[in-house]
Order: sequence, then structure tokens, then C-alpha cells
Amino acid sequence: MTDVSINHFTFHYPQSDVKVLNDINLTFKSHHFSLLSGPSGSGKSTLLYFIAGLYPHFIGIDAVGEIKFGDTNIKDIPREKISQSVAMMFQNPNQQFAMDTVVHEMTFVLENLRIAPDKMDDIINDALEFCGIKRLRSRVINTLSGGEKQRVALACIVAMDPQVIVLDEPFASIDPGSREDLINKLKLLQQEHGKTIILADHDLTSYRGLVDEFYYLDPDTHQISLLDDQQAEHFFKNFESTQQMHKRVEIPTGDDHAIIKLSDFKLEPHASLLLTLNHFDFYKEKTTLITGANGIGKSTLFNALTNLLPYKGTIVFDGKDIQKIRPLPYAKKVTLLFQDAENQFLNITVKEELDLSLANRTNTDYTQADVDDMLSKLDMAGKDERIVYSLSEGQKKKLQIIEMLIMNPPVLLMDEPFKGLDYHSLEVVVGFLNRAKTDFHQTQIIISHQLSGLDTLIDYHAAFEDQNLTYQEVIK
Amino acid sequence: MNPGMKLLLVMLIALEISFTQSLIVNIILITISFLYILTQHVSMKALFGIIFWPLFPAVGLFVSQWLYGSAGIHFAWILFTRIYAYVFLGATFTLTSSITDLSLTLEQDFHLPSKFAYGVLAAFNLMPKIAEEVRIIKTSALMRGEALHFWSPKLYFKSILSSIQWSQNLAEAMTSHGFVEDYERTHYKVIRITAIDWALFVVLLAAVQVLLFFIKY
Repeated sequence: MTDVSINHFTFHYPQSDVKVLNDINLTFKSHHFSLLSGPSGSGKSTLLYFIAGLYPHFIGIDAVGEIKFGDTNIKDIPREKISQSVAMMFQNPNQQFAMDTVVHEMTFVLENLRIAPDKMDDIINDALEFCGIKRLRSRVINTLSGGEKQRVALACIVAMDPQVIVLDEPFASIDPGSREDLINKLKLLQQEHGKTIILADHDLTSYRGLVDEFYYLDPDTHQISLLDDQQAEHFFKNFESTQQMHKRVEIPTGDDHAIIKLSDFKLEPHASLLLTLNHFDFYKEKTTLITGANGIGKSTLFNALTNLLPYKGTIVFDGKDIQKIRPLPYAKKVTLLFQDAENQFLNITVKEELDLSLANRTNTDYTQADVDDMLSKLDMAGKDERIVYSLSEGQKKKLQIIEMLIMNPPVLLMDEPFKGLDYHSLEVVVGFLNRAKTDFHQTQIIISHQLSGLDTLIDYHAAFEDQNLTYQEVIK
Repeated sequence: MNPGMKLLLVMLIALEISFTQSLIVNIILITISFLYILTQHVSMKALFGIIFWPLFPAVGLFVSQWLYGSAGIHFAWILFTRIYAYVFLGATFTLTSSITDLSLTLEQDFHLPSKFAYGVLAAFNLMPKIAEEVRIIKTSALMRGEALHFWSPKLYFKSILSSIQWSQNLAEAMTSHGFVEDYERTHYKVIRITAIDWALFVVLLAAVQVLLFFIKY
């Protein structure tokens, strides 16, 4: 029996007074499936990295308190033995493999554990079999989809056979089929193989009835509490309500002006078909919401619209094939608000970032007073000299939204623009976006899982499913 | 031949022909390398590439030496063939050896620290992602109204920032996959330097010395 117990555990960055984790006391029970939830950026990952033995080594800052596996303090486990106790699966499928092919990576893992070479083939075959990916054995990892990569990551963990499996938002970018399959495999590992599963996720889809314990990391107190069934149910219901919007929207009629037209359009990166459209239009001066499961291809569609990825067929913007428009003018007309705010930053400080947008914008619709007003409404005023990379995730998002609004492109694509924003900021941003649409005639296309609070903004809703995109009245 | 030994041999020979001036030896090296490559089932595209692309620097060197140099046309031909000798010698390694095998032998036989061997390998496998990242950085800059070119410091700043982030993630992932620096590992595929490897290495290197000694033209 190896409970993972955490005693008086406190962590904070040296230059900050805020404790990321404040006197945490809890026990993840052996052979249980524990879910740790809480808003993005609240410190879930930090705790997981400590449990997996990666911190303090990789962060260089130690925490106060102790983490124990059974009776053993994690710090007393020699480095070469720790993988027998715990292994971790990461959020980003692209950055967890050192080798080229699946079988090479799994061999690498077993070599690290000093397994006898003649036993490796059997272990690898069994692990691949368990994860249902024998066919991927010799594939090059770079050519796999996100869902396949996470299955390979799980196969590596199965081959390592640790007591505790820690997962940090492992399903954030994979398709629903892979997600469900992986969750079932984890349940099987827990029930049949006696593994202890600790999984952090802010997205609560499909965990109800599956997890044994539900822990919540409160972003205000920075403490973790174990929820009883009633409280857990409250959180599940609450989460579902953020994914709903009580509004019926119109289906576009012939009166609208199409600004982006897709025809004979086909999207198939990595040789897997994501989307086929004979004809689809996005409409001018409207806000279109695109919904659909993770990993289904929504962001990939944005990448095609912005010419970041090759596609088949034609995309026409404002009467012109986008392949025939020069890159710079096109990028200033059809602009993407990246999901990862850091992708948008080019400078070091907040002021430099804002100045860049003010210098390069295509029109001067926003006055300096407007900009100052936006900054203060989002609580971003007076941060001129802050280094953008040192801002919190929520602050990065706010800065990113403001600087892209200042650019004021005719078409703004937004990939999960509300991720990491609290509800009040979301309402403020929705107000800004409404203004950009009505006063400055902006066309907006939004990918979002967060739906509550968007009622006043959304004009049309396009559902992405079964490799198809269709306008629908109901948003769910 | 063991990829580590092959790399060493190729580098030694390339170094030698940089300091010697024998047209015939260059041609012999090119011919033998070419014949070796042909036996290794290399794609036509790769073959075309190693013949076509060196033509530009080779012709450039040839012409400048022939027209403006003081050592005459014979030396111009030496420079011309030297470029091809480098490329073909290099190709006998790059077109026929896997980077994975090279790191395995560097770790097991040349006793390079394993973190170095696998770090290089991991970085190599990240190359396609890096190209993708550079494209994202450029597009995102266009959307902010800035065109970044390959000489723009901002492009490098952003790329380096991403690389640091990635190398950190990769190091964490390797650690999570049980990798411990400088700690003993087992090896599924054992790569040894065999007697045949040594013999080939010595004989080929000696043969080049003999050729260089006797053929001065």
C-alpha cells in the first residue's frame, strides 16, 4: 500500500508573497483514482511536479513540508529508483519523447530502468497491446496525432510499471475518442493493476461517477480540499453550466454578406481527414462561435484560414483567393488571437507591446483614452514596465486581447480567448468585442468551450462534428 | 561499418585532403565513395542532390582559381574535385548511417556521457517542430504588422525562448521516463566496434596514406 501523503506543504516563488500552495495536507489513497481540479494556473501542475519528483530539481526552488510515498519521504528515494514509484504524463503531447520511433522510445525507457534486454520485447508488446496501439509500434512519433501520442505516453508508463501515475491535464488537446479510451485504460490500471492515479484537470467532462475522490484547489486560499459527493456534484453541475448558453441563434440567411468563403475545402494534416466542406461562408460584421470536441480540428481550421497550414480547395477573402494576397497585408486583415498568449508577444515589456500595436495598427479607431480605459477596466493599468513573460496566465491573456483589439483587423479569429480569465474579466472582454463589432465593423470568429457569459456576443453558431461544419440554432 | 568509426574515418580523410594536393587521389576518393553509396540503395533524389548542389561552390572555386589564381589550372581542378570529395565522403556517412545508431555507439563505445548522446538525439527529433515554430513566430509577427526575416533578432529571441522552454520540457520528460544522468543503463541494441571495423578503419586509412604518398599529381 502506498498512499501519497502530503503534509504541511507550502510553495511560493522567492520574489512573490503569494503562496502558490498554502499549507496543503491531504492523502491520495492507494489504488484510488483521484481528480484534482481548480482553475487554470492555480498551481495544480506545481503540486503534481513535486509528487512526480521533477521538482525541486527542475525549478530550483524547494518547498516547505513533505511528500511521502507510504512511509518513505520522496527525498529519501534515490534518483534512479524514483521511476519505480511514480511516473508522469504531461499536457503537451509533443514534448515528452526523446527518440524517433515508438519502439525506440519504449526501449529507451526500459534501458533507463536497467531491464534485461531479453525481457524488453515482451514488456513492450504487452504495454502496446494493453493500450491498443500495436499497429503504432514502428511509427515515427512526429507523424502521430495528439491522441496517438498520448496513448504512446501511456504505453511507456505501463511498461515502466510504477505504483503511482500522475497526469497533468493529459487530454487538453486530444480528440474525444482518445480521451474516453485513455480514461477507461486508466480506470483499468487502477482497478485491475492496483495503480494509484492522480489526475489534474480543469475540464470536468466525463469524470463523474468515475473518480473515487474529487479534490479542489481553491485559487483564492491556495489550499486543497477533499469534496464530499454533494460538493463534487455541485462542481460538476457548475462546470456543465459554463459549457451552456441559453440562447437560440439565427441560421444565417441570404441577406448576410459573406466575407470568407470556403469551397471544395479539405483539411487533412498528418494524413488524417479532419474536415470536408463543399461550401461554407463566414459572415461580415457577425460573431460566429465554433464549438466542437477537443482535438477535432477547430484550431487546425484557424491555421488554414491564416495560411499557417496547407489545405485543399480554396479560401476566398473579400472576393480574392487568399493564396494570391501577399502575406503581410493578409495577416493584418485576417488576424488570429493565438490560444497561447506568449505566441503573440514580440517584445519584452507591457509598454513595448502596446506601443508596437499602436505603431503598426491599420487604423486609429481606438484613441489613447480608449486604450487606457481598456487597461484599467481589465486591471492592467500601471504595469508598463512589467516583463510580459512574468505576467500571470490571466494577465497575459488580457494584454494579448487588448493589443489585438488595438490592431483592429477587419477579421479577428480567436482561439479560446477566455481561457484563464475570471468571469468578471470575461464580461468586460465581451463588452470590448461587442464594441469592436458594432462601432468598428469587425468580423469575429471564436472557438470557445466557455459559453456562459457570451449570450450578448454570439450571432451565429457553427458546430464542428463528424468532419463537418454546420450552422445550428441551438448551442450546446 | 560502425557509424562512429565511419564518421571518424571520413573526418580524418577529409582533413588530410585539405592539406594535400593530389588531383588523382581526389578522383579516386570520389569514385570509391560514389560506388559505395550506389551499393547502399540511396534514393535518386538524394543522389541527384549530392551531385547537383556542390556544383555551384565547386565551379565558383574552379573559375576564380583558374582565371584569377596564381597556381594554374591544375590547382583549380584540385579545388573543384576537393569540394566533391568532401561532399561524397560526407555522404558515405550521412546517407547510410542512422543518427540513432551513431548516438548509441557514441554512448556505448566512445563513452560520451549519455545525457549528451540522448540530448542531441532528442534535439534532432525536434527539428520538424522547430521549423513549425519558426513559421508560427513569423505569421504571428505579421499579424502584429512586423515582417521577420532570417536576420531579424526578434525571430531569434522568440526561437531561443521556445527552445529553452522545450529543452526544459524534454529534460523533465526524459527524467520522468526514468533517465538519470551518468547512471548505468542496459542496452537493447549493443553496438560494438568489431575486429572487422578496426581492420577496415586501419586498412582504408593506410590505403589513403599510400595513395597520397605515391601520387603527387
